[in-house]
Amino acid sequence: MSESAPPAGRPTQALHPDDENGEHAHSAVPYIVVYFALLFFTVLTYLTGKQHLGTWALPIALVIACTKSALVALIFMHLKDSSGSTRLVFGTSLVFVALLLFFTVADVATRFHPATPAGAPFGTERSQPEGLLEHELPE
Amino acid sequence: MSHEAEAGLPPGILAHHFSSLSRQNEAMRLGMWLFLATEILLFAGLFTGYAVYRFQFPEAFAECSRHLELTLGTVNTLVLITSSLTVALAIHYARNNRRHAAAVCLVITILFAFAFLGIKAVEYTAHFHERSLPGKYYAFEEVKIPGAAMFFSLYFLMTGLHGLHVIAGMVVLGFILRHTLQNRYSSRYYTGLELGGMYWHLVDMVWIFLYPLLYLI
Repeated sequence: MSESAPPAGRPTQALHPDDENGEHAHSAVPYIVVYFALLFFTVLTYLTGKQHLGTWALPIALVIACTKSALVALIFMHLKDSSGSTRLVFGTSLVFVALLLFFTVADVATRFHPATPAGAPFGTERSQPEGLLEHELPE
Repeated sequence: MSHEAEAGLPPGILAHHFSSLSRQNEAMRLGMWLFLATEILLFAGLFTGYAVYRFQFPEAFAECSRHLELTLGTVNTLVLITSSLTVALAIHYARNNRRHAAAVCLVITILFAFAFLGIKAVEYTAHFHERSLPGKYYAFEEVKIPGAAMFFSLYFLMTGLHGLHVIAGMVVLGFILRHTLQNRYSSRYYTGLELGGMYWHLVDMVWIFLYPLLYLI
Protein backbone atom coordinates (compact mmCIF):
# COMPACT_ATOMS: atom_id res chain seq x y z
CA MET A 1 0.00 0.00 0.00
CA SER A 2 1.46 3.28 -1.04
CA GLU A 3 -0.37 5.01 1.81
CA SER A 4 1.58 3.21 4.52
CA ALA A 5 4.98 3.99 2.95
CA PRO A 6 4.97 7.54 1.65
CA PRO A 7 8.10 8.95 0.01
CA ALA A 8 10.71 9.96 2.52
CA GLY A 9 10.69 13.54 1.33
CA ARG A 10 7.03 14.07 2.20
CA PRO A 11 6.53 15.92 5.47
CA THR A 12 5.05 13.82 8.25
CA GLN A 13 1.79 15.54 8.85
CA ALA A 14 -0.88 14.52 11.30
CA LEU A 15 -3.88 13.05 9.53
CA HIS A 16 -5.73 13.12 12.83
CA PRO A 17 -5.01 16.40 14.54
CA ASP A 18 -6.38 15.09 17.85
CA ASP A 19 -3.62 12.46 17.96
CA GLU A 20 -0.95 15.08 18.10
CA ASN A 21 -2.38 17.63 20.49
CA GLY A 22 -3.83 15.35 23.09
CA GLU A 23 -4.71 18.06 25.59
CA HIS A 24 -7.49 19.29 23.30
CA ALA A 25 -10.77 18.10 24.88
CA HIS A 26 -12.87 15.77 22.75
CA SER A 27 -16.64 16.16 22.78
CA ALA A 28 -19.14 13.34 23.33
CA VAL A 29 -22.11 15.36 22.03
CA PRO A 30 -22.07 13.83 18.48
CA TYR A 31 -22.27 10.33 19.99
CA ILE A 32 -25.32 11.21 22.08
CA VAL A 33 -27.01 12.87 19.09
CA VAL A 34 -26.33 9.80 16.91
CA TYR A 35 -27.61 7.52 19.67
CA PHE A 36 -30.96 9.30 19.80
CA ALA A 37 -31.12 9.33 15.98
CA LEU A 38 -30.55 5.55 16.03
CA LEU A 39 -33.32 5.13 18.62
CA PHE A 40 -35.64 7.25 16.48
CA PHE A 41 -34.89 5.20 13.35
CA THR A 42 -35.37 1.94 15.27
CA VAL A 43 -38.85 3.08 16.34
CA LEU A 44 -39.50 4.15 12.73
CA THR A 45 -38.43 0.70 11.44
CA TYR A 46 -40.66 -0.97 14.01
CA LEU A 47 -43.72 1.16 13.21
CA THR A 48 -43.37 0.99 9.40
CA GLY A 49 -42.49 -2.71 9.54
CA LYS A 50 -45.61 -3.55 11.52
CA GLN A 51 -47.82 -1.86 8.92
CA HIS A 52 -46.77 -4.45 6.27
CA LEU A 53 -46.78 -1.82 3.54
CA GLY A 54 -46.53 -4.33 0.69
CA THR A 55 -44.22 -3.32 -2.17
CA TRP A 56 -42.82 -0.38 -0.23
CA ALA A 57 -42.01 -2.29 2.96
CA LEU A 58 -38.60 -3.57 1.83
CA PRO A 59 -37.31 -0.32 0.27
CA ILE A 60 -38.39 1.65 3.37
CA ALA A 61 -36.74 -0.87 5.73
CA LEU A 62 -33.51 -0.85 3.68
CA VAL A 63 -33.33 2.94 3.43
CA ILE A 64 -33.75 3.24 7.21
CA ALA A 65 -31.16 0.49 7.85
CA CYS A 66 -28.67 2.13 5.45
CA THR A 67 -29.19 5.51 7.17
CA LYS A 68 -28.56 3.93 10.59
CA SER A 69 -25.44 2.15 9.33
CA ALA A 70 -24.14 5.35 7.75
CA LEU A 71 -24.53 7.14 11.11
CA VAL A 72 -22.68 4.33 12.91
CA ALA A 73 -19.86 4.26 10.32
CA LEU A 74 -19.44 8.03 10.01
CA ILE A 75 -19.70 9.05 13.69
CA PHE A 76 -19.18 6.00 15.93
CA MET A 77 -16.48 4.52 13.68
CA HIS A 78 -14.98 7.95 12.88
CA LEU A 79 -15.15 7.45 9.12
CA LYS A 80 -16.08 11.14 8.90
CA ASP A 81 -12.62 12.09 10.21
CA SER A 82 -10.75 9.30 8.44
CA SER A 83 -8.21 9.61 5.68
CA GLY A 84 -9.00 8.94 2.02
CA SER A 85 -7.44 5.47 2.02
CA THR A 86 -9.76 4.08 4.72
CA ARG A 87 -12.78 5.62 3.02
CA LEU A 88 -11.66 4.03 -0.24
CA VAL A 89 -11.51 0.59 1.42
CA PHE A 90 -15.00 0.96 2.90
CA GLY A 91 -16.43 2.35 -0.34
CA THR A 92 -14.87 -0.45 -2.39
CA SER A 93 -16.42 -3.11 -0.15
CA LEU A 94 -19.83 -1.46 -0.61
CA VAL A 95 -19.38 -1.44 -4.41
CA PHE A 96 -18.69 -5.18 -4.38
CA VAL A 97 -21.68 -5.88 -2.13
CA ALA A 98 -23.84 -3.92 -4.60
CA LEU A 99 -22.42 -5.88 -7.57
CA LEU A 100 -23.02 -9.21 -5.82
CA LEU A 101 -26.60 -8.35 -4.88
CA PHE A 102 -27.52 -6.69 -8.17
CA PHE A 103 -26.40 -9.46 -10.53
CA THR A 104 -27.72 -12.26 -8.30
CA VAL A 105 -31.15 -10.68 -7.91
CA ALA A 106 -31.22 -9.78 -11.62
CA ASP A 107 -30.58 -13.46 -12.39
CA VAL A 108 -33.33 -14.69 -10.08
CA ALA A 109 -35.79 -12.04 -11.26
CA THR A 110 -35.44 -13.01 -14.94
CA ARG A 111 -35.69 -16.79 -14.60
CA PHE A 112 -38.30 -18.85 -16.38
CA HIS A 113 -40.52 -21.20 -14.47
CA PRO A 114 -38.57 -24.51 -14.63
CA ALA A 115 -35.48 -22.76 -13.21
CA THR A 116 -37.24 -21.68 -10.00
CA PRO A 117 -37.16 -23.94 -6.90
CA ALA A 118 -39.93 -26.50 -6.42
CA GLY A 119 -42.97 -24.97 -4.78
CA ALA A 120 -41.97 -21.37 -5.40
CA PRO A 121 -44.95 -19.28 -6.55
CA PHE A 122 -44.48 -18.05 -10.09
CA GLY A 123 -46.06 -15.46 -12.36
CA THR A 124 -49.71 -14.91 -11.47
CA GLU A 125 -49.41 -17.08 -8.32
CA ARG A 126 -47.33 -14.39 -6.69
CA SER A 127 -49.22 -12.11 -4.34
CA GLN A 128 -46.92 -9.20 -5.20
CA PRO A 129 -46.18 -9.60 -8.90
CA GLU A 130 -42.75 -8.27 -9.80
CA GLY A 131 -42.62 -6.69 -13.27
CA LEU A 132 -39.78 -8.85 -14.53
CA LEU A 133 -41.56 -12.09 -13.76
CA GLU A 134 -44.45 -11.35 -16.06
CA HIS A 135 -42.88 -12.70 -19.24
CA GLU A 136 -43.34 -16.41 -18.91
CA LEU A 137 -41.75 -18.41 -21.69
CA PRO A 138 -44.18 -20.17 -24.03
CA GLU A 139 -44.60 -23.82 -23.15
CA MET B 1 12.66 1.65 22.11
CA SER B 2 14.35 5.00 22.34
CA HIS B 3 12.10 6.68 19.81
CA GLU B 4 9.10 5.77 21.98
CA ALA B 5 10.65 7.57 24.87
CA GLU B 6 11.32 10.53 22.60
CA ALA B 7 7.64 10.63 21.68
CA GLY B 8 6.70 10.46 25.38
CA LEU B 9 4.94 7.12 25.02
CA PRO B 10 4.97 4.11 27.34
CA PRO B 11 6.96 1.16 25.95
CA GLY B 12 5.31 -1.39 23.68
CA ILE B 13 3.11 0.96 21.68
CA LEU B 14 5.14 2.41 18.82
CA ALA B 15 6.67 -0.34 16.66
CA HIS B 16 10.25 0.28 15.55
CA HIS B 17 9.42 0.18 11.85
CA PHE B 18 7.15 3.22 12.05
CA SER B 19 8.78 6.61 11.95
CA SER B 20 5.99 8.25 13.94
CA LEU B 21 2.87 7.41 15.90
CA SER B 22 0.57 9.15 13.43
CA ARG B 23 1.86 6.91 10.63
CA GLN B 24 1.40 3.81 12.77
CA ASN B 25 -2.14 4.92 13.67
CA GLU B 26 -2.97 5.44 10.02
CA ALA B 27 -1.62 1.98 9.09
CA MET B 28 -3.59 0.41 11.96
CA ARG B 29 -6.82 2.09 10.88
CA LEU B 30 -6.30 1.10 7.26
CA GLY B 31 -5.64 -2.51 8.28
CA MET B 32 -8.75 -2.57 10.46
CA TRP B 33 -10.93 -1.20 7.66
CA LEU B 34 -9.52 -3.84 5.28
CA PHE B 35 -10.46 -6.52 7.81
CA LEU B 36 -13.94 -5.01 8.27
CA ALA B 37 -14.36 -4.96 4.46
CA THR B 38 -13.80 -8.73 4.41
CA GLU B 39 -16.36 -9.09 7.22
CA ILE B 40 -18.88 -7.01 5.26
CA LEU B 41 -18.35 -9.26 2.22
CA LEU B 42 -18.71 -12.39 4.39
CA PHE B 43 -22.14 -11.24 5.57
CA ALA B 44 -23.00 -9.99 2.06
CA GLY B 45 -22.89 -13.61 0.85
CA LEU B 46 -25.59 -14.54 3.36
CA PHE B 47 -27.64 -11.45 2.58
CA THR B 48 -27.48 -12.38 -1.11
CA GLY B 49 -28.73 -15.90 -0.35
CA TYR B 50 -31.49 -14.31 1.69
CA ALA B 51 -32.41 -12.00 -1.24
CA VAL B 52 -32.62 -14.96 -3.64
CA TYR B 53 -34.91 -17.05 -1.45
CA ARG B 54 -37.03 -14.16 -0.25
CA PHE B 55 -37.61 -13.34 -3.91
CA GLN B 56 -38.61 -16.96 -4.63
CA PHE B 57 -40.79 -17.45 -1.53
CA PRO B 58 -42.20 -14.03 -0.55
CA GLU B 59 -45.26 -15.42 1.24
CA ALA B 60 -43.39 -18.10 3.19
CA PHE B 61 -40.82 -15.54 4.34
CA ALA B 62 -43.51 -13.09 5.45
CA GLU B 63 -45.44 -15.83 7.25
CA CYS B 64 -42.37 -17.22 9.06
CA SER B 65 -41.22 -13.71 9.98
CA ARG B 66 -44.52 -13.13 11.79
CA HIS B 67 -43.84 -16.17 13.96
CA LEU B 68 -40.61 -14.70 15.30
CA GLU B 69 -40.65 -12.88 18.65
CA LEU B 70 -40.76 -9.28 17.40
CA THR B 71 -40.55 -7.86 20.94
CA LEU B 72 -37.35 -9.78 21.71
CA GLY B 73 -35.85 -8.76 18.37
CA THR B 74 -36.66 -5.10 19.02
CA VAL B 75 -35.24 -5.24 22.55
CA ASN B 76 -32.05 -6.79 21.15
CA THR B 77 -31.79 -3.97 18.60
CA LEU B 78 -32.00 -1.43 21.42
CA VAL B 79 -29.44 -3.42 23.45
CA LEU B 80 -26.91 -3.39 20.59
CA ILE B 81 -27.44 0.28 19.74
CA THR B 82 -26.94 1.24 23.39
CA SER B 83 -23.82 -0.93 23.59
CA SER B 84 -22.46 0.84 20.51
CA LEU B 85 -22.92 4.14 22.33
CA THR B 86 -21.10 2.86 25.44
CA VAL B 87 -18.15 1.71 23.28
CA ALA B 88 -18.01 5.10 21.56
CA LEU B 89 -18.09 6.77 25.01
CA ALA B 90 -15.30 4.48 26.25
CA ILE B 91 -13.05 5.76 23.44
CA HIS B 92 -14.17 9.31 24.19
CA TYR B 93 -13.26 8.99 27.89
CA ALA B 94 -9.90 7.37 27.07
CA ARG B 95 -9.13 10.29 24.76
CA ASN B 96 -9.89 12.65 27.63
CA ASN B 97 -7.62 10.65 29.99
CA ARG B 98 -10.55 9.37 32.07
CA ARG B 99 -9.40 5.79 32.34
CA HIS B 100 -11.91 4.65 34.97
CA ALA B 101 -14.92 6.06 33.09
CA ALA B 102 -13.65 4.29 29.95
CA ALA B 103 -13.32 0.99 31.84
CA VAL B 104 -16.86 1.35 33.26
CA CYS B 105 -18.22 1.94 29.74
CA LEU B 106 -16.46 -1.18 28.46
CA VAL B 107 -17.82 -3.28 31.35
CA ILE B 108 -21.35 -2.02 30.58
CA THR B 109 -20.82 -2.92 26.90
CA ILE B 110 -19.80 -6.48 27.83
CA LEU B 111 -22.88 -6.77 30.06
CA PHE B 112 -25.05 -5.64 27.12
CA ALA B 113 -23.38 -8.30 24.99
CA PHE B 114 -24.34 -10.95 27.57
CA ALA B 115 -27.90 -9.58 27.59
CA PHE B 116 -28.05 -9.83 23.79
CA LEU B 117 -26.86 -13.44 23.83
CA GLY B 118 -29.26 -14.28 26.66
CA ILE B 119 -32.25 -12.93 24.72
CA LYS B 120 -31.06 -14.76 21.60
CA ALA B 121 -30.81 -17.98 23.66
CA VAL B 122 -34.45 -17.54 24.78
CA GLU B 123 -35.47 -17.21 21.12
CA TYR B 124 -33.40 -20.22 20.02
CA THR B 125 -34.90 -22.34 22.83
CA ALA B 126 -38.39 -21.48 21.58
CA HIS B 127 -37.38 -22.44 18.03
CA PHE B 128 -36.12 -25.81 19.24
CA HIS B 129 -39.35 -26.43 21.16
CA GLU B 130 -41.65 -25.56 18.25
CA ARG B 131 -39.18 -27.22 15.82
CA SER B 132 -38.85 -24.19 13.57
CA LEU B 133 -35.39 -25.46 12.63
CA PRO B 134 -33.28 -25.37 9.44
CA GLY B 135 -33.59 -27.74 6.50
CA LYS B 136 -34.71 -31.31 7.14
CA TYR B 137 -35.18 -30.68 10.86
CA TYR B 138 -38.00 -28.26 10.11
CA ALA B 139 -41.28 -29.52 11.60
CA PHE B 140 -43.07 -26.29 12.57
CA GLU B 141 -46.81 -26.97 12.74
CA GLU B 142 -47.98 -23.39 12.17
CA VAL B 143 -46.28 -22.73 8.80
CA LYS B 144 -46.34 -25.58 6.32
CA ILE B 145 -45.66 -23.94 2.96
CA PRO B 146 -42.66 -24.36 0.63
CA GLY B 147 -39.81 -22.01 1.52
CA ALA B 148 -40.51 -21.94 5.28
CA ALA B 149 -37.63 -24.32 6.04
CA MET B 150 -35.36 -22.13 3.90
CA PHE B 151 -36.35 -19.05 5.91
CA PHE B 152 -35.29 -20.76 9.11
CA SER B 153 -32.07 -22.10 7.52
CA LEU B 154 -31.15 -18.51 6.63
CA TYR B 155 -32.40 -17.23 9.99
CA PHE B 156 -30.13 -19.60 11.90
CA LEU B 157 -27.16 -19.04 9.57
CA MET B 158 -27.41 -15.25 9.73
CA THR B 159 -28.18 -14.88 13.44
CA GLY B 160 -25.73 -17.71 14.23
CA LEU B 161 -22.84 -16.08 12.36
CA HIS B 162 -23.80 -12.76 13.93
CA GLY B 163 -23.88 -14.43 17.37
CA LEU B 164 -20.35 -15.79 16.80
CA HIS B 165 -19.28 -12.24 16.01
CA VAL B 166 -20.89 -11.04 19.24
CA ILE B 167 -18.83 -13.63 21.16
CA ALA B 168 -15.66 -12.62 19.27
CA GLY B 169 -16.49 -8.99 19.99
CA MET B 170 -16.78 -9.78 23.71
CA VAL B 171 -13.27 -11.29 23.65
CA VAL B 172 -11.98 -8.17 21.89
CA LEU B 173 -13.77 -5.95 24.44
CA GLY B 174 -12.19 -8.03 27.23
CA PHE B 175 -8.70 -7.39 25.82
CA ILE B 176 -9.22 -3.66 25.42
CA LEU B 177 -10.72 -3.49 28.93
CA ARG B 178 -7.55 -5.13 30.27
CA HIS B 179 -5.38 -2.67 28.33
CA THR B 180 -7.50 0.22 29.60
CA LEU B 181 -7.01 -0.92 33.20
CA GLN B 182 -3.27 -1.26 32.51
CA ASN B 183 -3.25 2.43 31.62
CA ARG B 184 -2.23 1.78 28.02
CA TYR B 185 -4.65 4.27 26.47
CA SER B 186 -4.59 8.02 26.91
CA SER B 187 -5.04 11.17 24.88
CA ARG B 188 -1.65 10.40 23.30
CA TYR B 189 -2.54 6.89 22.17
CA TYR B 190 -5.95 5.22 21.96
CA THR B 191 -5.90 3.58 18.52
CA GLY B 192 -6.00 0.01 19.87
CA LEU B 193 -9.13 0.84 21.85
CA GLU B 194 -10.64 2.60 18.83
CA LEU B 195 -10.08 -0.43 16.54
CA GLY B 196 -11.56 -2.86 19.08
CA GLY B 197 -14.56 -0.56 19.32
CA MET B 198 -14.90 -0.55 15.52
CA TYR B 199 -15.31 -4.31 15.56
CA TRP B 200 -18.18 -3.93 18.00
CA HIS B 201 -19.78 -1.25 15.82
CA LEU B 202 -19.62 -3.64 12.86
CA VAL B 203 -21.52 -6.24 14.91
CA ASP B 204 -24.13 -3.55 15.57
CA MET B 205 -24.28 -2.59 11.87
CA VAL B 206 -24.95 -6.18 10.79
CA TRP B 207 -27.80 -6.44 13.30
CA ILE B 208 -29.26 -3.15 12.02
CA PHE B 209 -29.86 -4.99 8.72
CA LEU B 210 -30.83 -8.35 10.22
CA TYR B 211 -33.56 -6.86 12.39
CA PRO B 212 -35.93 -5.55 9.67
CA LEU B 213 -35.05 -8.33 7.20
CA LEU B 214 -35.85 -11.16 9.62
CA TYR B 215 -38.38 -9.76 12.09
CA LEU B 216 -40.34 -7.22 10.06
CA ILE B 217 -41.27 -8.68 6.69
